[in-house]
Amino acid sequence: MSTDLFQVISENILKVLPDVDARLITPERQLKELGANSIDRMEIVMGTMEDLGINVPVTELSQAKDIGSLLGIFQRHFAQRS
Amino acid sequence: MSDRRIIITGMGALTAQGVGVPALARGLREGRVAIRAPLQPALAGLPAAAELDGFMLADALKSLPQAAGPLLEKARRLAQRAPRSIECATFSALEAWLDAGLHTAPVPAERVGLIVAGSNLSLRLQHDTAKKFAAGPEFIDPRYAMRFLDTDHVGVLSEVLGIRGEGFTVGGASASGNVALLKAWQLLQLGEVDACVVVGPLADLSPMELRALHHLGALSPGGGREADQVCRPFDAGRDGFVLGQGTACVVLEREDSALRRGAPMHAELAGASLVLSASHSAAPDVVGEAAAMRKALSRAGVAPEAVDYVNAHASASTAGDDAEVQALREVFGGHLGRVWLNATKGLLGHCLFSAGVVECIATVLQLRGGFLHRNANLREPLARDCRFCGDAATAQSIGVALSNSFGFGGINTSVVIRGS
Repeated sequence: MSTDLFQVISENILKVLPDVDARLITPERQLKELGANSIDRMEIVMGTMEDLGINVPVTELSQAKDIGSLLGIFQRHFAQRS
Repeated sequence: MSDRRIIITGMGALTAQGVGVPALARGLREGRVAIRAPLQPALAGLPAAAELDGFMLADALKSLPQAAGPLLEKARRLAQRAPRSIECATFSALEAWLDAGLHTAPVPAERVGLIVAGSNLSLRLQHDTAKKFAAGPEFIDPRYAMRFLDTDHVGVLSEVLGIRGEGFTVGGASASGNVALLKAWQLLQLGEVDACVVVGPLADLSPMELRALHHLGALSPGGGREADQVCRPFDAGRDGFVLGQGTACVVLEREDSALRRGAPMHAELAGASLVLSASHSAAPDVVGEAAAMRKALSRAGVAPEAVDYVNAHASASTAGDDAEVQALREVFGGHLGRVWLNATKGLLGHCLFSAGVVECIATVLQLRGGFLHRNANLREPLARDCRFCGDAATAQSIGVALSNSFGFGGINTSVVIRGS
């Protein structure tokens, strides 16, 4: 399941930042490092949540430091979804 | 009369005739009616429309091989995921920019202006976002906060082209294109900028606006005719306008700047006007229309008798075409029978916000090409004292032309275009 979620995040990153080399999308990287500004980051997060059918509070999202921790938050909510 | 000559040095157009100005020129010369039964779901229910279908920015950019790498890259990065109207406007602006040679012989960024014609440029996006909001407000795209603003066009286009002078949107309903030309002409006359990019964007209406226009009786109900025969400007059988999709862009420039850069001199924008009718209504106003034409001519220092050709507003509205002919009678008097008249909307539909810019380019193409395009579906002219172009393009040398645009809310505009 975790690989699927990573796939969903990756697709949303590439949708917002089409010029990014897909190989650079790794858990330890920050979205900022890939060239995402604050609106790009919000768009990636919103798009991923929409695809997964989950809704994560902004306060919780702001704790994510890199793609890996974002993935962790999404995994938790995805597992608990009703 | 104005002191300085303002020159059209660049043109870009994306219309139902195809991608780019050459496609538009070909369509006008061949008299091809680009109006068909609509294919796009958003236009379902319309009897006919001139659609931009299958437009993909990435493909269209390949038709501009002279574009330098960074310019193309910026266009792709900023516009490819933008709403359709911005995507289309970016192409037209880029075509005009390259045509004017601004990529190789630049004008200082702070001496270039940008005016985008029209208001409420994201109605379809708003309609689609409202549906999404009803399903779940938490998934609203944060970028919508910028996208719903008309000035998103200004932001994106100025970033793509590196424009740092004045920039704004200007609304004038169906006359928006001409209003933008007028405001650019004034900025250039004032010396605020040396060149000004005037963009007529796509009116990306949602089914709500289309339905309201239908209920108003403004859109042609079709009358059971074949789609390419629905739009009938100046014809006794006309019954409303047909929606046209299109974007266009012209670069206007002070003559001294154009000469210094060795820019192409397509034509002169010799004068322009906007006259209100003191009315909120959709009804045409003969007095206001005549006043707009007279004012544009007087600003250009051109006598009515010197006008060879009028690119009429002529949307094929029942009352509108009648009123325009009456206004032309008042302006031209006995000279009316010597002024050629045609309606570009018969071939392209009514492009709404961009109509004035599209028709400015159509006028320049005819001036430069030495021809006048045909009037489509004009079988039974509404007036006998007018010199309507016939059913085929004719070779005709034109010196001075007038192009009219009239909008809901009593907005009457006219521009004077002269061979340069």
